[in-house]
Amino acid sequence: MANQDEQAGRAGSGIRAQQDFVAGLFLAVIALFAIWQASDMPLGTLRAMGPGMLPRAVAVMVGLGGVILMVSSFLEEGPALERFHWRGPLFILGGILLFALTIRTAGLIVAGPLSMIFGSLASDEFNWKEAAIFAVALTAICIVLFKFALGLPIPVIAFM
Amino acid sequence: MDMFSNLALGFSVALTLKNIALCFAGCFVGTLIGVLPGVGPIATIAMLLPITFGLDPTGALIMLAGIYYGAQYGGSTTAILVNLPGEATSVVTTLDGHQMAKQGRAGVALGIAAIGSFFAGCVATLLIAALGLPLTRLAQLFGPAEYFSLMVMGLVFAVVLARGSILKAICMILLGLMLAQVGTDLETGQERMTLGLISLSDGIDFAVLAMGIFGFAEIIRNLENPETRDVVRGTIGRLLPGKEDFRQSYMPILRGTFIGSILGILPGNGAVLGPFAAYTMEKRLAKDPSRFGRGAIEGVAGPESANNAGAQTAFIPLLTLGIPPNAVMALMVGAMTIHGIIPGPQVMTRNPELFWGMVASMWVGNLMLVIINLPLVGIWVKLLKVPYRLMFPAILIFCCIGIYSINNSPSDVMFTAFFGLFGYIVLKLGFEPAPMLLGFVLGKLMEEKLRQSLILSRGDFMTFLDRPVSAVLLVIAVAMLVLALLPSIRKSRDEVFTE
Repeated sequence: MANQDEQAGRAGSGIRAQQDFVAGLFLAVIALFAIWQASDMPLGTLRAMGPGMLPRAVAVMVGLGGVILMVSSFLEEGPALERFHWRGPLFILGGILLFALTIRTAGLIVAGPLSMIFGSLASDEFNWKEAAIFAVALTAICIVLFKFALGLPIPVIAFM
Repeated sequence: MDMFSNLALGFSVALTLKNIALCFAGCFVGTLIGVLPGVGPIATIAMLLPITFGLDPTGALIMLAGIYYGAQYGGSTTAILVNLPGEATSVVTTLDGHQMAKQGRAGVALGIAAIGSFFAGCVATLLIAALGLPLTRLAQLFGPAEYFSLMVMGLVFAVVLARGSILKAICMILLGLMLAQVGTDLETGQERMTLGLISLSDGIDFAVLAMGIFGFAEIIRNLENPETRDVVRGTIGRLLPGKEDFRQSYMPILRGTFIGSILGILPGNGAVLGPFAAYTMEKRLAKDPSRFGRGAIEGVAGPESANNAGAQTAFIPLLTLGIPPNAVMALMVGAMTIHGIIPGPQVMTRNPELFWGMVASMWVGNLMLVIINLPLVGIWVKLLKVPYRLMFPAILIFCCIGIYSINNSPSDVMFTAFFGLFGYIVLKLGFEPAPMLLGFVLGKLMEEKLRQSLILSRGDFMTFLDRPVSAVLLVIAVAMLVLALLPSIRKSRDEVFTE
C-alpha cells in the first residue's frame, strides 16, 4: 500500500487523500438527506423518546464522521479515487430492473432470458449467440427447479 | 448429564431420514454455489434461501445449516484450487493450500482441510451443547441496559476487526444503524424515512440489503478487475493424507480448533481472526518457519480447523443471546425470522427439538462435508473452469429469483438493484461493507433496548454505568477501541491483515 499512498498526493488542490475526501462528502450528503427526512418527526424527551430522536442523532453522527474524513483527507496521505466505470453497473443493475419489471407482467419465461442477456453485456467478452443459448437453457432449468421441484409461487407465463 | 440427554434429543431429530436428506441437499448445493469464485457465503445463503421456504421450520434450519457449512467449505476449496479466497476467513488458506496444490498435493490439502474441519466441527458442537444452557440462563438475567451495552461491545469488536481505517468502519456501522431505522417506528407506529414508499413501511429487508451489497456489487467489481484465475492443472493427487501428513497436522488441528472456538464466541465477528491467529501461531511454533508459504501442511490444517470451529461457535451468541456476531449470522437471523423463529434465549426453552435438532445437524453437516466433498472434488474443479462471463448471468438470475421469492415482490428486486449501486459506490470509496450489515442487523434491537432502558431509568444515561454487568461490557468496548487506536497496535493490526 505504501507506494500507492505516495503516488496519490495531488498537487495543487491540497487534498492528500482523494478517496477519503469523496467518501466523507458522500457520508455528509447522506446525513443531510436523513436529517431532512427526519426533521418532521417528534423528538420526544430522553425519558420517552419520540420516533425522531435516534434517526436524527445517528444522522448527525454519520455527518460528523463524514466531516472528520474530509478534514483528515487534507492532513494525511491516502489513496486516490478509483475510476468509476459505467458498463458494469449499467448492465448488471439494468438487467435486475428488467427482471423486476417483467416478472409479474410477462413471467419468468421472458424475465429470465431478458435480464440475463442484458446483464451479459456487462462483460467485455460478450458474445450474442453464447449469451442467448445460455440464458434460455438456464431459464428452463430455473423453471423446472424453482417452479416444479420446489413449488415456489413464481410466475412462469403471465402474459397469456 | 443434561447436555447429553439434550444432544440425544437433537440427534433423534436430526437423524430422521428426511432431515439427513435435507442436510445432505443443503451441504451439496451450498458447496456447489460456494465453490464459485467471487461468491462468498453471504451471497450463497441469500441466493439459496428460497429453496428452504417450502419446508417446516426444523427442516428448513437444518438445511440452512448445511448450506452454511457447504458455503464455508466451498470457499476453502476455491482458495486451495484457484488461489482466490471466497471470503476473509479463507485468505490464509490460499498461502500454503495453493502451494500444496501446485506441488500436485491438492487432494491432500483438501483432505486435511476436510478432516481438520470435521474435528473442529465435532468439538464446536460439543461446546455449543455445553454452553447453550448456561448462556441462555445468563441471557434471561439480562435487562435492556445489559443488552444494549453488549451490542455496543459487539459493534466495537466489529470495528476493531474490520480491515482498513477504523474511522471508516465506524461510519459504516452508523450507516447500518441509520438504514435500520427506516420503516415504522416500534412504539408510535409513525413511518420513518420511508420516502412515502409503501414497500418501505416494514423497513428494509435484510436479504435485500445483503444481496445488493454482497451479491450484485461484488459482480460489478469482479467484472472490473478481470481475475487471473489460476486453476490448478494436472492431477489432484490422492485425497487421503498419509501417515507423515497426519503426524504433522494433528497438533495444528487441535490448536486451531481451540483458538477458533474461543474467537468465534466473541460478539462482533471474532471468527474472522481465527485463521489468522492459527496461521501465525503455527509459523511461530514450527521448527522450520521458512516452509510456510511453500506448501506446509500445518499452514492448511491449523487455519482451516480454526475457520470451521469459529464458523460454528459463532452460532452461540446468536442462539443464546439473539445477537448475531457477524454478517453471515445476521442472514441466518433473517432466514429464521422468515420461518417464524426469533433467535434468542426463548428458542431453547420453547422449541427444544428445533434448537437441539439444529445443533446436532451441525455435526451431521460436518460429516456430510467430508463425505460429499472428497469424492466430488473432480466436479468442483470442472465448475471452477466455467468462465466468469457465463457464471455471472447465472448468479444474477439466481439472486433475482431468490429475492423475488422472499416476499413475491418485484419492488424488493428493485431495491436490491439500488443497494447494488450503493454497495458499488461504497466499495469504490474504500469502505468495508461488512460492519454496515452488522450495524443494520443490530440497529432495531439496539434502539428498542436503548429506549426501554431510558424509560426504566427515567431518562438517565447513568443507568448503563450503574448496572455492573453493563458497565463492564462498556469498559471492555472502550478499552478495545482505545487499544486499536494506539499507533503501535494499529501497526501490528495492519500487519495481521496484510500477511
